[in-house]
Amino acid sequence: MAAVDPDPAARPVNAAPPRIATLVLRIGLWLVPSFAAWYLTARFHGVAAGEAAHALMAILKPGLVSALERQGSDLVFVTTLLVHPAPGETGVLVTEVNPLLYTYGLPLFVALMLATRASGWRIAAGAALLVPFQAWGIAFDLLAQVGIRAGPAVSVQAGLAGWPSEAIALAYQAGSLLFPALVPVFLWGGFNRPLIAALAGSRQRGAGYASEQTARAAAPRIGSSPRSQQ
Amino acid sequence: MARFAIVFAVVLAALFAAELTPPVQSAFVVPWTAGLVRLSAGLIGLFDPHVATLGKILLSTTNGFAISIEAGCNGVEAALILVAAMLAFPAPWRHRALGILAGLMAVQALNVVRVVSLFYLGQWNVAAFEWAHYYLWQALIMVDVLVVWLLWIRTLPRAR
Repeated sequence: MAAVDPDPAARPVNAAPPRIATLVLRIGLWLVPSFAAWYLTARFHGVAAGEAAHALMAILKPGLVSALERQGSDLVFVTTLLVHPAPGETGVLVTEVNPLLYTYGLPLFVALMLATRASGWRIAAGAALLVPFQAWGIAFDLLAQVGIRAGPAVSVQAGLAGWPSEAIALAYQAGSLLFPALVPVFLWGGFNRPLIAALAGSRQRGAGYASEQTARAAAPRIGSSPRSQQ
Repeated sequence: MARFAIVFAVVLAALFAAELTPPVQSAFVVPWTAGLVRLSAGLIGLFDPHVATLGKILLSTTNGFAISIEAGCNGVEAALILVAAMLAFPAPWRHRALGILAGLMAVQALNVVRVVSLFYLGQWNVAAFEWAHYYLWQALIMVDVLVVWLLWIRTLPRAR
């Protein structure tokens, strides 16, 4: 039986880091299928981010959200806040959040990792690490709707008037403008420290990149047959 | 890595918080955004005379389609990330200054491409505009920041 290589990154590679032009080309090529897969599977990966946001809301503002529902790929948070859409009518405030606004970093991360031939487990680990930041964006989108955009009557009822609304605004800006695109790139950097050190031009660091690649290539593979290791 | 992460986070948090304050918004962000709109309109005007500007709004005089350049689309956040990354990475100050100057130009150049492309994409198809606006261009701008930073660290002098 042929040995299965579980880690493509462990294949023997040149010690020199890839040219940046080559890296950019690979990233561009991987972005297309990554974004397509992300968009087509939005109903599924949105569940993880939505449930994590629901759990985060239970910490940030216990009792504010009574249920999380789905409408297509959108997340629908049913709150416990009472609203009066017309005289004599009373209902609960329901807010919708588009999770794609906070999860588009996932295909970016996958494209970056595939461009540097990362292993599947590293991609999966990075994708899992993205979820709390996606949840942050979704939760503070919801809080911004309740605490700021829905008006003073709702924000007072929610207990979010005053300084909490200022904190929500700042957290919402970070969750929508910084985290979605920045965190995937930062994680990619964390997974590719030897590559970055080699690009930095330090002889010592470059040697570190080369030695790590060599060590990976020489290390026994999990799942390899004894014959394949000889 | 730990030192880089801490310095990067602190510098970025400080720059981002400062950017959101009213004085910085009125003194820098709003004029910057208006300048970006005028630059984009000037470039569009080279091949399409049916464009007008109004503050941060870019308007087609042919069909009335307009886009408003808001936070996240003016390239300021991408610039802050690049500046924080260059300040956090060990490098001589001269290289940092040159890197920030050249890097900001590269990021803003691609941002102008984003604005112009979205202006025409929106006139063609609103769904395509929203997809490109909310998801694709955000990712591409960040890739641009990453590539500029990688190119910059490659130009740094070797450690002795």
